[in-house]
Amino acid sequence: MNENLFASFTTPMMMGVPIVVLIIIFPSILFPSPNRLINNRLATVQQWLIQLVSKHMLSIHNYKGQTWALMLMSLILFIGSTNLLGLLPHSFTPTTQLSMNLGMAIPLWAGTVVMGFRHKTKASLAHFLPQGTPLPLIPMLVIIETISLFIQPVALAVRLTANITAGHLLIHLIGGATLVLMNINPVTALITFIILILLTILELAVALIQAYVFTLLVSLYLHDNT
Amino acid sequence: MLQSLIKNVWIPMKPYYTQVYQEIWLGMGLMSVIVYKIRSADKRSKALKGKIFASSNGGERKTPSHLFRTRCVTAY
Repeated sequence: MNENLFASFTTPMMMGVPIVVLIIIFPSILFPSPNRLINNRLATVQQWLIQLVSKHMLSIHNYKGQTWALMLMSLILFIGSTNLLGLLPHSFTPTTQLSMNLGMAIPLWAGTVVMGFRHKTKASLAHFLPQGTPLPLIPMLVIIETISLFIQPVALAVRLTANITAGHLLIHLIGGATLVLMNINPVTALITFIILILLTILELAVALIQAYVFTLLVSLYLHDNT
Repeated sequence: MLQSLIKNVWIPMKPYYTQVYQEIWLGMGLMSVIVYKIRSADKRSKALKGKIFASSNGGERKTPSHLFRTRCVTAY
């Protein structure tokens, strides 16, 4: 039982070859980029959604920040589609791997920080000390702000990993419990099954929300540094 | 294939890769340094564990060190 619970989080291999790269590339097939002005329904709906999200997310940014529009939109689409595909039974979700999420969080966070120090050095250094700090607290607060800065990419990655992994584990556990209870007590099994349905709906929401939160936080870090 | 890759990917994305994402390339360099440090520390600790195991089981019996290197399924 313990082995089966965590088996879905191991890197998938096919005849000794890791196929995780194919799994990561797969969601891009679901987003066609045709060159036509008027497209089919799928492309039209996708373009409408992308326009809605990008308008909302990039409204706070200046010219420099809006150069990251492509990156932010790709990020939210990738994480959202990967999380949703991971809800299919027996599928592997790349965003349950901390290495993958750190691989996304660290370059983007470091990019925003370096951008801030490069183009607005004084303002970036000023972020280490909030306005109105009493004089005796200054050294401690600078240390705290430095720690909170370096915690940002770790928090980004761990938040996404923990939310998606926990959801998948819960679905595994409650699904297993439903199966076992079917022979013992069908009424309890029905209740557990209803809980499973509600949990799956919650996980659908969590998949989209976590993609939005990750991208929004990167966007906020970018806004602070541009 | 390389020509179509250049025409469809590199030419439209060139301003992004060369100007907009300069800081992100730096961040990717930082991440690769972190990955390298973690992997080398892991290799070093595994080699040390193998040495300790071999020496605790008697110095005469020289077990090849590659037997103690376990291939982790989730390692990258």
